[in-house]
Amino acid sequence: MQTGVAYIRSLGRYREASVLAMLAAVALYLSFASDYFLEPRNLLNVGRQASVVAIVALGQALVIIARGIDLSVGSVIGLSAVVAAVLMRDTGSETIGLMAGLLTGLACGLVNGVLYTRFRINPFIATLGTLSIARGIALLMTGGIPVPFGGLAEFVGAGRIFDVPVSFLLMIVLAIVVHVFASRTVMGREIYAIGDNPKASRLAGVNLRAIRLIVFALCGLLAGLGGLILAGNLASADPNLGMGYELDVIAAVILGGTALSGGRGSILGVVIGALLMALLNNAFVLLGISAYWQVVTKGLVIIFAVGLDGLQRRGDDD
Amino acid sequence: MMRSDNLKEAAASGAAASASLPPLIRARGIAKSFSGNAVLQSVDLDLHAGEVVGLLGENGAGKSTLMHILSGGLQPDAGTVEMDGAPVRFGSVADGIEAGVSFVHQELSVVGALSVAENLHLGRMSRSRTGLVDFKLMEEASRALLERVGAGHIEPRREAATLRAGEQQLVEIAKAAARKPRLLILDEPTSSLTPHEVGGFFSYVREARASGVAIIFITHRLEEAMALCDRVVVLRNGAIVSERRPAETSRQQLITDMTGKPAIYEHRPRTASDTMALSLKGVSGDRLLSGIDLDVRMGEIFGLFGLVGAGRTELLDLIHGVHRPTAGTISLFGERLSLSDPSEAVRAGIALVPEGRKTAGILPQHSVRDNAAISSLRRFSRGIFSDRGGDPRRMASYRQSLGIRMATDTQEISTLSGGNQQKVIFARALMAEPRLLLLDEPTHGVDVGAKADLYDIVTREAEKGLTVVIASSEVPEILALCDRVAVLSKGRLAGILDRVAMTEDTILTMAFKEH
Repeated sequence: MQTGVAYIRSLGRYREASVLAMLAAVALYLSFASDYFLEPRNLLNVGRQASVVAIVALGQALVIIARGIDLSVGSVIGLSAVVAAVLMRDTGSETIGLMAGLLTGLACGLVNGVLYTRFRINPFIATLGTLSIARGIALLMTGGIPVPFGGLAEFVGAGRIFDVPVSFLLMIVLAIVVHVFASRTVMGREIYAIGDNPKASRLAGVNLRAIRLIVFALCGLLAGLGGLILAGNLASADPNLGMGYELDVIAAVILGGTALSGGRGSILGVVIGALLMALLNNAFVLLGISAYWQVVTKGLVIIFAVGLDGLQRRGDDD
Repeated sequence: MMRSDNLKEAAASGAAASASLPPLIRARGIAKSFSGNAVLQSVDLDLHAGEVVGLLGENGAGKSTLMHILSGGLQPDAGTVEMDGAPVRFGSVADGIEAGVSFVHQELSVVGALSVAENLHLGRMSRSRTGLVDFKLMEEASRALLERVGAGHIEPRREAATLRAGEQQLVEIAKAAARKPRLLILDEPTSSLTPHEVGGFFSYVREARASGVAIIFITHRLEEAMALCDRVVVLRNGAIVSERRPAETSRQQLITDMTGKPAIYEHRPRTASDTMALSLKGVSGDRLLSGIDLDVRMGEIFGLFGLVGAGRTELLDLIHGVHRPTAGTISLFGERLSLSDPSEAVRAGIALVPEGRKTAGILPQHSVRDNAAISSLRRFSRGIFSDRGGDPRRMASYRQSLGIRMATDTQEISTLSGGNQQKVIFARALMAEPRLLLLDEPTHGVDVGAKADLYDIVTREAEKGLTVVIASSEVPEILALCDRVAVLSKGRLAGILDRVAMTEDTILTMAFKEH
């Protein structure tokens, strides 16, 4: 038992490696358990499923590294898609629709950020509020009925370039951009600093409020983009789109080795975490296990991932 | 030779104190290593009932490791501990408490949301016949306990979070006193107490001694050790280097024992320029401060002295843009400042080394290098990109000039000793190349050796023309460093003293002006 715990703790020190190992283990198992798993069609499908979670998780990771949390991403996905689809339908302009969708995401993020930085509402509560508000607005705008959605978004959501899903390629590009942002820019380094010790960072001259606001805004923007891709894939903007997505997104971030307590985490880890979540979903489909078990497993995976973090940091608070 | 004399002397005094009884605690050959580093090497220590022993040593000398071993928090690698002549082995802190050993840590562990009385009775709350908590009984018992440790002014019903740090410290001591310990270990108990509270605390220690409690008193304040202790033990590099009686030694001797070299800091006279660096006119804050007028010249080391609650930190916060003044003006080199955030202060050339290294200074999960760089990221950036490549070079230069001891600059800052962490925070402030350096209790909890280094750094920077404002609650620190000192008393400026007028007496008298 002792050695088991010690082993898991040692794994915790190389979180990206350990998630990568889990990813490889699940993939290896599936390649034996299912003939269909290694088919290019299936693998590309997994990539497509992972991409939206990963894109939204990029923003969420920045928020969590800065010691915040954004529970509203699922609803922002839905609202952005609905706003884009409704405006596209009513104005007939695809550009206006898509821009409005992205701006909706950005606006939601800014609202979260302002509630946190100006009104000093704990982000857990602030974003829990916007989670409900954004979903409600999406339902009000559509009367609960899905709106048809197409054009460029459909290409990004469902299209392929040389057989590779466009959304997957977009995810790779965004991951590289966010990785460079987080690790190479002044602001990226300041995000890690405020997550590690907000008070010390502020006194050292980091503009705490501005960075928190920007981080939430980016998270909202990426959630908005995720909504457009998801609706594009389905060619329809359902007001219930993205419901429960916050769970997958936060799970991907935490699985990828980001500390909920802030200050630690890598973008590479987040992408691997998202791939692992998608692979687990795929496994249930391929193995023909009830989708209800999938819900249970998701919860177990989150607890396992956070448990790793807790074991590694044991002694911090006791 | 000197060492064996001291031991004999100490043994003799012990024998006198307790006739032929075995000592309360007899530790022999205690050794402890952490990952290959020997922190304690064969320490022998006797403690007698009714004796106050001062334990001195620089940070990293092994004081807390030794205390953790005596109280059951750590197991020694070698050596034995006897209590009343019988061998004991405490497997945990609970075992130690059970046997009568109480350890009051330097880090406070008061539960803020509970009342003082609840804190004092945590884990052993009394119940009335209905099975509910008997608050009345608990409050009465608390009042008596607080009275004993000289904290009778604290109302047991108060929420603990509303207490000052010093008051919380007294609650911790009362908590330990409630357990009726036979050995009481106090780690820097006075660091946040006001002089008045120190007096009350001292009388508690003397009363406990009279009732036969053995007390270990860890402190960095030599004056207190000399005033309170029957015997002073100095640890250096994990070994006991001297045991002396205060009446037969001097401050100077103890410093030499602790550092291994004679080191005191003498004020170096300096001529400040005529240029006005910082100027405050009628500055008031929203809670405490009112009508502060000060002028600090370029290259001057200017002290801000005051008792706890006098408003030292609050004044630095106003200058650094943490809070906005409610009235008055602040100017830097003739330019009026209107700061709404410390980020603007840093850009204007004001850097701060804050009070409270752990809570407000270090980024604990970041490397030493990243900790030092955080204030100057924007200074050395190329566009939006940070100059990561230049970090090691800048770090290396400050590592050398500040004498920071570490294995590599990529190790986490938490792995360094307190004094070295503080030097990294200095490096952070200096790297931002400020025109004005604000220091808030810069040597709080730092050992004597590192303290002398930090004083040297401050003096050197001032000689190069940097203006320094240093807030301190330690008079010797003010005397060692400052060209002038402003004394605050309950949020008002009680007066400004020149070098010639600065003495311990004049400073303290001014500090009590509004009391």
